[in-house]
Amino acid sequence: MRRLYSSLVDGRGFDLCLIGIPLAFLIVLSGIPLIYNVVMSFQAVDMFSLGSFIRPWVGFENYRQLIAQPEFWPIMGHTATFLAASIAGQFLLGFALALFFWTNFPGASWLRGLFLVSWVMPGLVVGAVWNWLLSGDFGVFNFVLRELHVISGNVFWRSDPNFALWSVIIANIWLGTSFNMILLSVGLSSIPADLYEAAELDGAGALTRFWTITLPMMRSTIGALISLGLIFTLQQFDLFAAITSGGPNNASNVAQYWAWDLSFKQYDFAKGAAISVIMIAVVMVASVYYVRSTRHEVRG
Amino acid sequence: MSETFRNRLLLLVALLLAAVYLFPLYWMYITALKTGSEMFRAPPSFWPDDPQWSIFPFVFQLKGMGRFLWNSVVIASGSVALIAVLGTGAAYVLARYRNVWIDVGLFLVLMLQVLPASLMITPIFVLFTLTGILDFPRTAVILAIAAKSMPFFIVLVRATFMSVPMELEEAALVDGNSRAGAFWSIVLPLARNGILVAAILIFMQAFGEFVYSKSLIQEIELQPSSVGLNAFMGPNTNEWNRIMAFASIYVTPILATFVLLQRRIVSGLTSGALK
Repeated sequence: MRRLYSSLVDGRGFDLCLIGIPLAFLIVLSGIPLIYNVVMSFQAVDMFSLGSFIRPWVGFENYRQLIAQPEFWPIMGHTATFLAASIAGQFLLGFALALFFWTNFPGASWLRGLFLVSWVMPGLVVGAVWNWLLSGDFGVFNFVLRELHVISGNVFWRSDPNFALWSVIIANIWLGTSFNMILLSVGLSSIPADLYEAAELDGAGALTRFWTITLPMMRSTIGALISLGLIFTLQQFDLFAAITSGGPNNASNVAQYWAWDLSFKQYDFAKGAAISVIMIAVVMVASVYYVRSTRHEVRG
Repeated sequence: MSETFRNRLLLLVALLLAAVYLFPLYWMYITALKTGSEMFRAPPSFWPDDPQWSIFPFVFQLKGMGRFLWNSVVIASGSVALIAVLGTGAAYVLARYRNVWIDVGLFLVLMLQVLPASLMITPIFVLFTLTGILDFPRTAVILAIAAKSMPFFIVLVRATFMSVPMELEEAALVDGNSRAGAFWSIVLPLARNGILVAAILIFMQAFGEFVYSKSLIQEIELQPSSVGLNAFMGPNTNEWNRIMAFASIYVTPILATFVLLQRRIVSGLTSGALK
């Protein structure tokens, strides 16, 4: 007993205790649900069997039914559009802003940090504000576009099936641009200045310097950021709940919202689990790339 | 072009960019202050004719926001407390040693960080129903958030522990401190700032959390503000000034905290996510 106590305070036991308890917590509350999710996707789950562990085994039936649903492929397409457009928009706008703030004038770092408010705000608030900005008749976004002569009539962002997904994409780009900008700024500031001086002496123009120094030096940052963007974008749920609820008629529905909708609106937990398994596999692939590209930094 | 002129010009452009980027926030506050008819005027007014300051206490009363905010605070504080107590130790061990097992642990932590809440909620809901945790809905949400956000906390705090020199700890051990004693009185105080910043970031996240709260809490008395705001926005609502007032009351404490601690939060965040 005494030896156990002294190990806990002053030996191996101390480290094992510090790491063991959190790891056990994570395994119980993340690992087990993760595995149980896979198990559940092979079972028949209804409201009656929800409260019992033992349920009939149906093999790949849930997956088969899920893919046979007419909305499956459109929703997968929306998910791909949502991912590609959000990541491209966030990254390009973030990069442009980071390059601008890199010119380093007094107040640059403070102002740059201020942009990050879009990222720390609750997603529901961001969604509510954009829902109102994108309102068809009275939205200020339409007003600005009309004044700039981009559009002639009002666009009904949230209720027009052609634009509903884009209303969420616009809000998501706004939300994520600042985060991209901050991380890209960190990458930019770590490029040694003498590289540019040497290039300038050799007569390289601004554009050449960007292509031959900035982009290659930023490769690992950009790689990490794109995979991080993929991970964050696949986590985006609040904006869908606050702006379109996946409507109209699934026009803005994506996989991560559909999974929740199947489970908690249609009470089809088995199909909800099946689509979750598919999407979690996608996230895992992205995160392996993220972990690999940040491994050097993480190891310190 | 002199240096000062260039700096002034760049600052002006930067201010303009910030104004455009933060316009949605401005519009939230301005809409809250408008009357019902001014809100729907075309062309829209960019400054309220007659600011309706009374809308804030009115909406606060009408929607019972005290309860919603209290629940948000309970959920956020509970999550932060649990995450800080468990996560700090894990971050310390992961920072102090370097071997295969630590790499495996780090890899697991990083992988758990990326699981989307809206996909994990299905098995969590079913498991919480089976085990009866769902009878305590706010505790259930705290547990779910803790599992979701702890990896992020560990990654951030680990970066802080890496910067604490190991010699200080070794000196304390030579002086006769136990491992626990050295950790408690030397390492923790030195890492205090980093832990605090990470805790604030986690608090902000948990304060705005939506998916778990929406799915696990049925009783309206126990729901946090995010769920309250979602319920307020019906599909064909026209109460936008009231909704924006709700959103303003909800988000202003977060914005104030962020602006005050901006420098520390930004540097803490960047050290964890990439470096």
